[in-house]
Amino acid sequence: MMRLTLALLTITGLAHGAPATQVAWTPETQELVKSGDPGRGEKLAATCAGCHGERGVSANSAFPSLAGQLPTYLYRQLHDYKDGSRVNPLMQNFTSALSDQDMADLAAWYSRQPPPENSKAADPSQFEDILRLVRQGDSKRIIPPCRVCHGKQGQGEQIDTPRIAGQSATYLEQTLKAYHDGERHNDIYGRMRLIAEQLTSEEIRQLARYYATLQP
Amino acid sequence: MHIDPLEKKWLYIAFGMVGLFLGAIFISALVSGIHPPSNVETIDSARLHLSEEFAEDNLGVRIQPDGTVRVTMVAGRYGFFPRHITLPADTPITFRWASIDVLHGVHMPMTNMSTMVVPGYVAEVTTQFPKPGDYPMLCNEYCGTGHDFMWSKVTVVDKQTWARRHAKTEGDPS
Ligand code: HEC
Ligand code: HEC
Ligand SMILES: [Cu+2]
Repeated sequence: MMRLTLALLTITGLAHGAPATQVAWTPETQELVKSGDPGRGEKLAATCAGCHGERGVSANSAFPSLAGQLPTYLYRQLHDYKDGSRVNPLMQNFTSALSDQDMADLAAWYSRQPPPENSKAADPSQFEDILRLVRQGDSKRIIPPCRVCHGKQGQGEQIDTPRIAGQSATYLEQTLKAYHDGERHNDIYGRMRLIAEQLTSEEIRQLARYYATLQP
Repeated sequence: MHIDPLEKKWLYIAFGMVGLFLGAIFISALVSGIHPPSNVETIDSARLHLSEEFAEDNLGVRIQPDGTVRVTMVAGRYGFFPRHITLPADTPITFRWASIDVLHGVHMPMTNMSTMVVPGYVAEVTTQFPKPGDYPMLCNEYCGTGHDFMWSKVTVVDKQTWARRHAKTEGDPS
């Protein structure tokens, strides 16, 4: 049993030792992200357009939209893919040749694009149940409300709590499941994992649908 | 200088009250052992997760060679990490704290475990818990919109049970 657990831990990258992310928000790193050049970023983004859309609004729901996302968050995710802190073969491939400056430039460009707009107006009554988690959280499970961290409109917060409003439901569900299972573990001190691991699949599905329809 | 007798009486009463309150503060401080911030030790909050002591996998409860227990924890908007710890009763326990973002406070009601966690510094408190039971651990310094939701759980069990059940699993993470 012990050996099996150890093997599983190693496979999922949970074996202890590695910090969640190598990025630290020191003044230098914050300065680097701030200094990102959107003009250069736009050119670099040509390689990404096939999946993430011409201007960061993805047409395929399995690929996340990047437009209007916090530059700090984008920078850190790119860094995490490159050094393997966040595991995804596709993205590891596309980030392997990027320098820190390239990542800052890409982040600068995508963060300046208008966020995805919602065509379908959502009917708020269908989300009544799940709004409790969004607004009040659940003290029994020690889950703070989503919006104290992600913002009232799901617009994201400093330093690197991402915008989730308007993101595709498929991607949101998939990434929340990945936190839930520990497959995604680049959130420092498990801030998002500790929450997601307690959510049921149904809650995850509803939350994903709610935030996908929320107009940022 | 002439002071009206009535004025004098009020002066005595006012000074008496000041003395009484100061006395109450000092007595309660001595009797229940409050912990004024006394440990001055700096740490880089931005790189906390990359540090050795406060790395995610090194957090939690550990037995020291001298038999005391050390608890390493991190405070950050909006939670304490790890979320749940189990501690032995009647054992000297040293808490070491650091914040990843802003000023937080840690407080366990019904105990004298209470300290401020200032970003950039390590807070240290040593205490004992005489009574087994479940205690909440609350943040008592306003730290943002989620402040009210910032809490976690501490279970205190008697020494023998702890040594049997928890000391191994939580005491040595390797
Ligand atoms: C072949 C398709 C593909 C290409 C090309 C691609 N990506 Fe991705 N990208 C993905 C997928 C799939 C994910 C989600 C992976 C996951 O779940 O971790 C993703 C995730 C991301 C994320 C994380 C988003 C979030 O909300 O957490 C960022 C940032 C990103 N990509 C940036 C880029 C950039 C910049 C480029 C170009 C250099 C690029 N991607 C090229 C498929 C692609
Ligand atoms: C304690 C603050 C906090 C709370 C509460 C919180 N989150 Fe998060 N969330 C974060 C942080 C920080 C990240 C970025 C972590 C990382 O880098 O992986 C994140 C990431 C996410 C992501 C990934 C976004 C992307 O683009 O990949 C989703 C989806 C998400 N949160 C949904 C939720 C939902 C739904 C709730 C409510 C049940 C919630 N969060 C509650 C802090 C929080
Ligand atoms: Cu707090």
